[in-house]
Amino acid sequence: MTAVNSEGLDFSHISLDQLSAISALELDRLPFGVVGLGCDNLVQVYNRTESQLAGLPAGAVIGNDFFISIAQCMNNFMVAQRFQDEAELDAELPYVLTFRMRPTRARLRLLQGAAPLKYILIQR
Amino acid sequence: MDPGQEAETTELLQFLYACPVGLMEFSRDGDIALINPLAMQLLMPLSPEGFAVNFYSLMESFAPELRNMVDNFSPNQGTICDNQHILVRPGSKQTGTEARVLSCTIVRLAANRFIASLADVSKQVAQAKRLSQAETWLASLLDGINDFATLSVDEHGIIIGADGSMFRQSGFAASETIGLELESFTAHSEGFETISVVDQIAIAKQQGWYLSEGWQRKKGGEAYWSQRLISVRNDADPADLRPAAYTALIRDVTRHKSDTGKLLHMLRKDYLTGAWNRAHFFEAGEAECIRAERYGQPLAMIAIDIDHFKKVNDTYGHAVGDDVLMAFSQICTNLLRPNDMIARVGGEEFAILLPSTDAEGAANIAKRIRSALAAMRLHAGDHTITVTASFGCMQMHPQASSLAEMLAVADTLLYKAKHAGRNRVEADLTLEAA
Repeated sequence: MTAVNSEGLDFSHISLDQLSAISALELDRLPFGVVGLGCDNLVQVYNRTESQLAGLPAGAVIGNDFFISIAQCMNNFMVAQRFQDEAELDAELPYVLTFRMRPTRARLRLLQGAAPLKYILIQR
Repeated sequence: MDPGQEAETTELLQFLYACPVGLMEFSRDGDIALINPLAMQLLMPLSPEGFAVNFYSLMESFAPELRNMVDNFSPNQGTICDNQHILVRPGSKQTGTEARVLSCTIVRLAANRFIASLADVSKQVAQAKRLSQAETWLASLLDGINDFATLSVDEHGIIIGADGSMFRQSGFAASETIGLELESFTAHSEGFETISVVDQIAIAKQQGWYLSEGWQRKKGGEAYWSQRLISVRNDADPADLRPAAYTALIRDVTRHKSDTGKLLHMLRKDYLTGAWNRAHFFEAGEAECIRAERYGQPLAMIAIDIDHFKKVNDTYGHAVGDDVLMAFSQICTNLLRPNDMIARVGGEEFAILLPSTDAEGAANIAKRIRSALAAMRLHAGDHTITVTASFGCMQMHPQASSLAEMLAVADTLLYKAKHAGRNRVEADLTLEAA
């Protein structure tokens, strides 16, 4: 069963359409973190890689305001503000996250467009 | 892990992720071991490379004394500082970044483990300052009205009316003040400087009044510490073409040393050396640049770096390094005029801003500081230490008219002095010939 071609599903190339189309199981198999937020910033997608990095089960995160309860360090002009300012967004940036309170360098990719959710991809 | 433990760990992590106060743990060297998202949010903008790994290097420009306080704390456990206010200025590259006040508490947990909490208290500090100013002002009304000088100004800050009270306070007759800018009676850059008179008038227009503190000058050249209240007298009236007018009340408070003044002073000074801190230097220095440009006066900058300072620290310890910094600052203060501004802009880097001085004048002062420092002998145990410094001097010119640009030019000259063998003064005197 190959609903979506697995090619192009790497961190830098996966598209907004692909993220919206693939199953939860396939999202869980991706080697990078995927967080999908609704327009109210409530978490709707939280894949296994991200869950393992942050040390939080998906059930504890889904439905929460991402920028308030999980990632206050992204609630700034580099991430949260960009989602607000740019309706079409596909940007990669180096960043520092606090997985389990350890300062950790990571790359982020921010994606927003016609799809119902906006996505933050996290590569350690 | 059993499910019960796992659920507890999840709760603990959620608690730390969502914590509305910044928390972190660091080692004696300042390396950050643990940090929650809010602390990261507060610290990340302070790092030029956007990566917060070492607490001391992040704070070096804003509160270099933190390292000293931690080093000098001898008990193995206990509170090192409690809600210490730190004035920080996020990196200049990012737009729209204003100075902020962080409140920092540091607790020692074990020999090499320190916990800090961080919170942004900028709003509370601004509000407290405004309230305490209002209180001081109201209290002063009870002391008698004779201390006040009353002036009328228009919305551009030009004096349009004065009476004998200004003469009694400052020696300037009413006729000598009318038509001049209110700002032109301000003395040093300390106080008043953060916001222009025109902006103060705009705030008074919105909120009814604006109160500030700073140095005013007397006719004889003497300066006095004053409080100045700008309030709306009448709004513009298009019916009879009457322009808006504002009242400026100036009160000489030199004798009643105000608490607000002392507090501001503490927030702006480097705790170790008594020099201005970097944040205040950039704020007040920028106002000095604008003033120099407006009045066509030269303005000079000296950038200074103590030679081989790391070696002094490594060989004799931080305490001796601190003595060097204090001695250097004292030498400069002795040789500088009251209006000159010396600031500690980095660990062992200083900058001096010299109003009404050209590059040659700055070079002469730098040479005097250089030889005084080289002649100084410091004692560290059985050793006698000599220290030297390198200097870069320049004066404001059209290609370097902001404080940051001036400092960059002075820094380039400083590195030239370093490369030419240190213990030297390099100056750009090209403007003299032009």
